[in-house]
Amino acid sequence: MHYKYFLMASSVLLLSACGGSGSDDTPTINGNEIPILSVANIPSDITKSQTIELTATASDNDGTITSVIWEQTAGLKVLDEPIAANSVIINIPSALSYSPKEYAFNVTATDNEGAIAVKTVSFIARNAMDEFAAARLLHQGSMGPTLNEIRKAQGLSEQQWLESQIALPIEYHRSYLVKSPDQDDFRYINRIDGWWKATLRSDDQLRQRVAFALSEILVVSDANSSLSSQPEGMVTYYDLLLKNAFGNYRELLEDVTLSPIMGTYLSHLGNEKADDALNIRPDENYAREVMQLFTIGLEELNKDGSAKLDAQGNTIATYGQSQIEGFARVFTGWTFADSETFKRKSRDYIKPMQAFSEYHSSKQKVLLNNEVIPEGYGPEESLQIALDNLFNHANVAPFITKQLIQRLITSNPTPQYIERVANVFNDNGDGVRGDLAAVIKAIYLDDEARHFGSVLSYQGKVKEPLLKTVQFWRNLDARSLEGEYRTWNLINNYGQGPMRSPSVFNFFRPDYQPAQLRSDELVAPELQIAGDTTLIGTMNEHFSGLVWGTAEARDDLNPKELYVYIKSDMSFLKSNGVGALLEQYNVLYFAGSMSADTRQALLDLDAYFNDAEYRERVSYLLYIIAISPEFNLQY
Amino acid sequence: MSINRRQFLSLCLKGGVSAAALTSLQLQALTGSVNAIELGDYKALVCVFLYGGNDSLNMLVPLEGEQRSLYEQSRQNLAVSTPIALNSATNFAGGVGLHPSLAPIKRVFDSSNLAFVGGLGTLLSPTTLDDYKNKTVTIPKHLFSHNDQQASWMYGREKQSLNSGWGARLLERLEQQDQFAANISLDGTNLWQTGNQTKAFALNKSGISKINAFSDYKPRMEHVTTIMNRIMSNTVHPLSSAYADSFKSAINNTQAMNNALETAPALITSFSDTSLSEQLAAVAKTISVQSKLSTQRQVFFVSMGGFDTHDNQLDTHPALLSTLAQGLSEFDSAMKELDMADKVTAFTMSDFGRTLTSNGDGTDHGWAGNQIVMGGAVKGGDIYGELLTQHLDGPQDTSGGRLIPSVANEQYFATLAQWFGVPSSELVDIFPNLSNFDHTTLDFFV
Repeated sequence: MHYKYFLMASSVLLLSACGGSGSDDTPTINGNEIPILSVANIPSDITKSQTIELTATASDNDGTITSVIWEQTAGLKVLDEPIAANSVIINIPSALSYSPKEYAFNVTATDNEGAIAVKTVSFIARNAMDEFAAARLLHQGSMGPTLNEIRKAQGLSEQQWLESQIALPIEYHRSYLVKSPDQDDFRYINRIDGWWKATLRSDDQLRQRVAFALSEILVVSDANSSLSSQPEGMVTYYDLLLKNAFGNYRELLEDVTLSPIMGTYLSHLGNEKADDALNIRPDENYAREVMQLFTIGLEELNKDGSAKLDAQGNTIATYGQSQIEGFARVFTGWTFADSETFKRKSRDYIKPMQAFSEYHSSKQKVLLNNEVIPEGYGPEESLQIALDNLFNHANVAPFITKQLIQRLITSNPTPQYIERVANVFNDNGDGVRGDLAAVIKAIYLDDEARHFGSVLSYQGKVKEPLLKTVQFWRNLDARSLEGEYRTWNLINNYGQGPMRSPSVFNFFRPDYQPAQLRSDELVAPELQIAGDTTLIGTMNEHFSGLVWGTAEARDDLNPKELYVYIKSDMSFLKSNGVGALLEQYNVLYFAGSMSADTRQALLDLDAYFNDAEYRERVSYLLYIIAISPEFNLQY
Repeated sequence: MSINRRQFLSLCLKGGVSAAALTSLQLQALTGSVNAIELGDYKALVCVFLYGGNDSLNMLVPLEGEQRSLYEQSRQNLAVSTPIALNSATNFAGGVGLHPSLAPIKRVFDSSNLAFVGGLGTLLSPTTLDDYKNKTVTIPKHLFSHNDQQASWMYGREKQSLNSGWGARLLERLEQQDQFAANISLDGTNLWQTGNQTKAFALNKSGISKINAFSDYKPRMEHVTTIMNRIMSNTVHPLSSAYADSFKSAINNTQAMNNALETAPALITSFSDTSLSEQLAAVAKTISVQSKLSTQRQVFFVSMGGFDTHDNQLDTHPALLSTLAQGLSEFDSAMKELDMADKVTAFTMSDFGRTLTSNGDGTDHGWAGNQIVMGGAVKGGDIYGELLTQHLDGPQDTSGGRLIPSVANEQYFATLAQWFGVPSSELVDIFPNLSNFDHTTLDFFV
């Protein structure tokens, strides 16, 4: 709806006043020349909270100016009543929403004969994020922001940052996948190494974050799977998520469905039509999970994500066994691309799967909403109809957008927030359904995400453990001298790893409710992996990484080992003192939400050390920040 | 009891439960009249969860006769061809055999420390095929869905607001919920051990979890620990508080567990290097220091994944069963070595059984299945419940070979709960659907 408008409005100043002109052209009324009025130029880019001065210059060729009066004609009230003055100071209100706000003023000059000249000044004030607002947006919209990224975003409006991120070229992970020295093949650890490099180095951080979220919704995993020997295919799957992150959900769904990695993971690759003599019928695995997890879920939903209830107050199942069998038939006949025959497989884990009609079930296929594919349809046609059928189900918008909100912004979105985003999913304003760029913008620009208006006491989410380390590593230039990121212990250290879920149900479920949140009826999905061993594992990882594992703590660096480099924080501390360092950390790690108590605790921690122990001081501050409850919340 | 009662009441009110809907046990809890149960000796339950839905009908297969031919007709290429005959009276006239990959537990079965329970599944009341087709009884919700059926096995009752796992409910009923070491998981968070007042302590399968920060230079470590404790105590946001709460108990409980485990005797029994055996080894080690942990009841949770054999079942399922049997056999030896066999009962649960039909090289989500129960207190060497006829389109087949269970999983749970110390009269309070069945328990304990 309004995106085009923003693009136009964000940089345009509508200034209708123009310079004065010579007396020859000055219009006259009954022989009296009307006043000559001009307005001084105003800045071309105006932001909320800015103070600007509007100045008029008036003269009269055949008399005198008796009054110059400014009055406001549009915008939030900044002039309570008309003001008689050549200049007025305008204090533009601070941001109350993400949308640019139009302001307009008339200035009227009157001469001694009562003739008037009127000029209009109008402009659009956009948001300009302060350092805290920028940090908060980037904590939500990146894999873990750096100070530099926050500083660059500062002063931009929220949608300027989002749009600039969306416009960036895609940093595919495939380009970061390299074989280890002396190895002929790609190994599992190479894809992990590539994930780190892409995550740490890429500029398209919003896309990286959305793709990471999608990898926890449209789950594939090479944990306990033959897929661990297909790192190139796995990376290709991740790249498919990156490619479609701002594309259309329908296309994403098709790419996911035809991925040979997904085909292997949920076993529709090689799935064939029934053989009644052998009691063989189509595999139901993908049919079930594509509905339960990737599109509609188990129960009919209202647009705000709540369950629909029947007359008896019971939830309503979205599908039954006949739909399972219908979709199972749809997903028959597909195997690896470029296979000679259905049975002589190419084992190409990169290209989308291809179909062999003779292995496809041509029986009737029962779909959702009473739609049926009649007998005789082939694999490609059936797939298109079936994916359209899924994609157009009313559940998709609330089911998928709620999970995206939970992965990106807050564990407990209000139904109203879900509905606002679901509406955008259903129609981006141009009649397009499933436009993920529009959905992502709606998610990030919503008042509930941006904290405009009142902020809910339970707003936000527990950070994913892996992403905490990502942020430290991005800021502290983590690397090994040999250059590889060989992190073998992701599950032990974090309870998660990219595409390492124990099952298609992800590391944590969207409705996980720890005992402590039962009485508040809140969920905290990420706490499902915060078991004792994982919490200790993550704590150990932070301690050994930030205290023992800094390059500055070592006399000799092991070329294979990963170190963080804290020397720039050490010199900042040396030059500016601990107070200034904590201010910087408050922006960088807390997005401005460091409480006075936490700040005092960090100061007291620091007081233990001798002034010149810069390395220890920085290390222990970072370590305590890493485990602190405030840092662990993405607010 | 008073604090628990108040918490319970508050939970009831928040959950919108009316007093009229409360069970007798709950009413007793409200009035403070629940009798404390004297726990004499030590007992432990070890849940072995087989994630994905074990094709457990293939663990016990008919050997001969009509049952065998129906089985082979139904299962085709997935029929087990070389079962190991078991010496047990069953409803299979031609005898019953064990999947050959389960060979390691044949010894345990023969030594009367292991039994099978057949025909189990999620049921709300006895259900026939006609009932199922005509919807004359209530059918459990979301049959065939992994996470919903896992949840129903773990809850031991239908989904409801403020639900809790039945493992946790047993501990709460026996008033063991304040002992962190009463509730131990080797596989992180799970619903079975999550209750209103208790959640599982997650134990590393290597046993001791060293805390790096505590091996720092001592005076500095003490200072940093003080700061850490401060920072964990001043939380306002409910999600931060939940994180801090989990963090604090992780530190405290891990230290306590480490201290106890440091005194554990070395076992002669050796465990394999599979994940399951490692988990069971850690359970055995923890049981060996039970007296130091001052708890009279323990529930343990270990798991194996990979049972969702839609694909390649002929290769993967035997390997899974072999790992399972190896782990159970090792655990049996360890319990005997510790002289704890009579006090510890291990049992399996899984999402569901699988279809009798195949999808070419695998099976899909089914319903009824068989389970294993093992321990010195078990009347082993026998099969309880009912072995279902593996008959496609037979009298228990809803479609495609998804068989209707003849025994409710809650009957299986209640039997374990009764052994664990829950009075018979209260089993229905913990497993409410039992009131729809003639028998609340099965007879597999001595």
